[in-house]
Amino acid sequence: MIARLRAEARLLPVLAAIVIVFGIAAATNATFAQAGTYAAIYATAAIGLSILLGNVNQISVGQAGFFGIGAYSVAYCTAILGWPFWPAALLGVALAALCGVAVGFIALRFRGHYLAMATLAFGLIAVGVFHEWSALGGAAGIANIPYARLGSISLSGYAGYWFAWIAALGIAVVSLNLLRGRTGRAFETIRNDELAAEMVGVPTRRYKVIAFAYAGALAGLAGALYASVLGIVVPDAVGIALSVDFLLMVVLGGSGGVCGALLGAALIGFLDIAGHQYANWREVAYGALVIGVVIAAPGGIMGLVRRTGPFKPSAPDGAAELPRDTPQAATRAVSHVAPVSAPHAVPLDVRGVTKRFGGLVAVDDVSFALQPGTLTSLIGPNGAGKTTLFNLICGVGAVTNGSVFIGGRDVSGRRPHRIAALGVGRTFQNARLFGEMTVLENVMAGAFRAERAERAVRERARATLDRLGLSRVAATYAKDLAFGDRRRVELARAVAADPWLLLVDEPAAGLNASERATLNDDLLRLRDAGTTLLLIEHDMRLVMAISERVIVLEFGRVIADGDAAAVRNDPAVIAAYLGTSTS
Amino acid sequence: MIQLIVAGLTVGSAYALIALGLHIILRSTRIVNFAQGEFSVVGGLLALTFAQTLHVNTWLALAGATLCGFMLGLGFERFVLRPAARSGEAGLTIATVGMVFVLLYGHALVPGWGSLPQPLPAFSGEASDVFHVAGVAIQVQSLWVGALLLLALAAMYVFFERTYFGKAIHAAANDPLGARLVGIDVASARAVSVALAIALAAYGGTIIGPIALVGGAGGTALTIKGFVAAVVGGLDSPAGCVAGGLFVGVAEKLLGGVFSYGVVDPLVYSLLLVTLLVRPQGLFGKRVAVRD
Repeated sequence: MIARLRAEARLLPVLAAIVIVFGIAAATNATFAQAGTYAAIYATAAIGLSILLGNVNQISVGQAGFFGIGAYSVAYCTAILGWPFWPAALLGVALAALCGVAVGFIALRFRGHYLAMATLAFGLIAVGVFHEWSALGGAAGIANIPYARLGSISLSGYAGYWFAWIAALGIAVVSLNLLRGRTGRAFETIRNDELAAEMVGVPTRRYKVIAFAYAGALAGLAGALYASVLGIVVPDAVGIALSVDFLLMVVLGGSGGVCGALLGAALIGFLDIAGHQYANWREVAYGALVIGVVIAAPGGIMGLVRRTGPFKPSAPDGAAELPRDTPQAATRAVSHVAPVSAPHAVPLDVRGVTKRFGGLVAVDDVSFALQPGTLTSLIGPNGAGKTTLFNLICGVGAVTNGSVFIGGRDVSGRRPHRIAALGVGRTFQNARLFGEMTVLENVMAGAFRAERAERAVRERARATLDRLGLSRVAATYAKDLAFGDRRRVELARAVAADPWLLLVDEPAAGLNASERATLNDDLLRLRDAGTTLLLIEHDMRLVMAISERVIVLEFGRVIADGDAAAVRNDPAVIAAYLGTSTS
Repeated sequence: MIQLIVAGLTVGSAYALIALGLHIILRSTRIVNFAQGEFSVVGGLLALTFAQTLHVNTWLALAGATLCGFMLGLGFERFVLRPAARSGEAGLTIATVGMVFVLLYGHALVPGWGSLPQPLPAFSGEASDVFHVAGVAIQVQSLWVGALLLLALAAMYVFFERTYFGKAIHAAANDPLGARLVGIDVASARAVSVALAIALAAYGGTIIGPIALVGGAGGTALTIKGFVAAVVGGLDSPAGCVAGGLFVGVAEKLLGGVFSYGVVDPLVYSLLLVTLLVRPQGLFGKRVAVRD
């Protein structure tokens, strides 16, 4: 992800240079200058949508609604109330951001097509309000909006070109920096795997709302610029067609990041002018273009740009900074596990937990408490409710009855990221890594909740990879990892924030003998450093070798609980696994 | 009041058919077709062309428009949805948004279709014919709309529940891999279901033509109202989609009796948000627990 953004940072100055050269060339050509101005205004809004769609994977078919809010704020406050441009624009951006927050909250409840339709409805409702609210001039809109002024300079005509592009490029730089830091990492984890993002401690809901608010604010800013430059706002200009235009720009340029949005907006800005006298045909062509790009070049223009020389993403993140592992690396690591301690005498206390899915009782009145710095295994036949119990402990799904105490606190009803923040790590049965991120980036995401400063996050991730002997794959994209490495990288991600409670779901599944031996060591090392471990595992040899305690579930109930030897000889356990002789 | 309800049921029939079409496409392709309402508009306009240039009566025009809708649907599936499928759900959805532009601005380019709505000839007598029930004047055309809606629903029911091919489409939608393993041609099943959905849209756009006019730029509003209807009734329930459509139609007309025209549509759209917040499964849908 960082590699792509670095390539964008190299491309951005080139685009800025084109803007400047074009601006100088267009000094005597009003039509070109105007086309360029529109391109800048569109680009400002498109950057927000590009981030929303490409970086956070949230769709919006109603961006014109936010654009309209910005435009009408400026129109009303300047033309009717007589305010200067700047406070009016500020108000417009703030209102648009606020509506973005509202739509963001809608996005928390609805996904996919529900969200698309809800945003479309938002756009139509906004136009309806502009139409019906008599103060906003009805269908005729508001005219005679004064130009923005900077000191004695009126930002009209040719000056408007520079004004709009300074705003657009400024937004591009700010957005790129945002994406290259903590916020961008949070977005990227959400895009890759929302559940896993929560589990590493990313407050996914907050970041989704932030993304909508940011996209809304940028569309509002674009609307404010538009009102000032054009001098008139009518409801039809901020209708559903504009929302589709924004989608078109982003899809055409390539969603995600900022350069695709700039390129797409520039292209549409000029096609708008060039196709001026071909109304209807132009829009038909746009529609066909969207379909064509989705089918033939899903990456858009940036997808093609990324394939060529200087703007190809270079070595993925992690390659340059990490030394190759020496053969000693893995052995040296043993002494390097940071000691951790639970803040409470009982790290995990499960009290009478029951979970029903409709008529099915997946977990039935389960109770147990773990001692600090111990390794406990949770075993049982398939469908016994082990993973469901893990989910309940981590805050995925609500318990039907009972409660879970982590570090002495009742965590019922807490979001998974808040449970993670207490100091809880988790791995998944099917290793849910962030596939489009490198191993280093995955582990950096794992350190998200432990550190705030970028440098500290990176240091911690590198140290974690180093101590697990994974530095050799630091620059590999997670989706390209070999199976055994996937498991270990997931473990690295889970321990990067030094959790004192670690839930590990079937870590040995699919590993070969030597990988199992390494896993065995890893888990014991973590336990010896003070981590309390709860392990779901089917490999009985591993379970019996390393567990201090074994809890057996069958049909959601605890049927045995004790040390390994006792459980192994328990008749109920033998019956559960092998069947009874009478049946 | 009664007149408003009858008028509501009439436009609601179109919403119901849009909702049903959205449901069918959603089941088979997992996406919402944003162009559904535009296909309905185009269907009505095709009927108009048949009635005007071929001088056939509205019944034949309806059959022609429905058949053309089916063919358009086949083309739409083959040349837009199928190739766009590899771009994922977001890409597919955006492709249908692109299709909105093609149809919306495309139909304005066709000679004789223009951008202003036009009336379709009545199914019988004159569009203005009324009869009286307990002193209330009701348009004869409304009865035809109701009858034609029932006819379409009956046909859909028989096809999906009583024929082998309909059941194969169900199977292909529920579990494409499983269906393929038992020998169902999943690609064809998907194509036919999309084509049926588009045919329904064209049919719906035509049957209300004598009363509510055909053509114009209202296709997207139609899509959203159909979606609102589907959500209100339950997106996973065909009966719910139809009931939701009639409900939205009546609600719209009753609200129109109280508020001005421009306020009604935003109010109807906000029904979507209210339903999703209060009863996400819709009035007729089943609540399902999802295991992560």
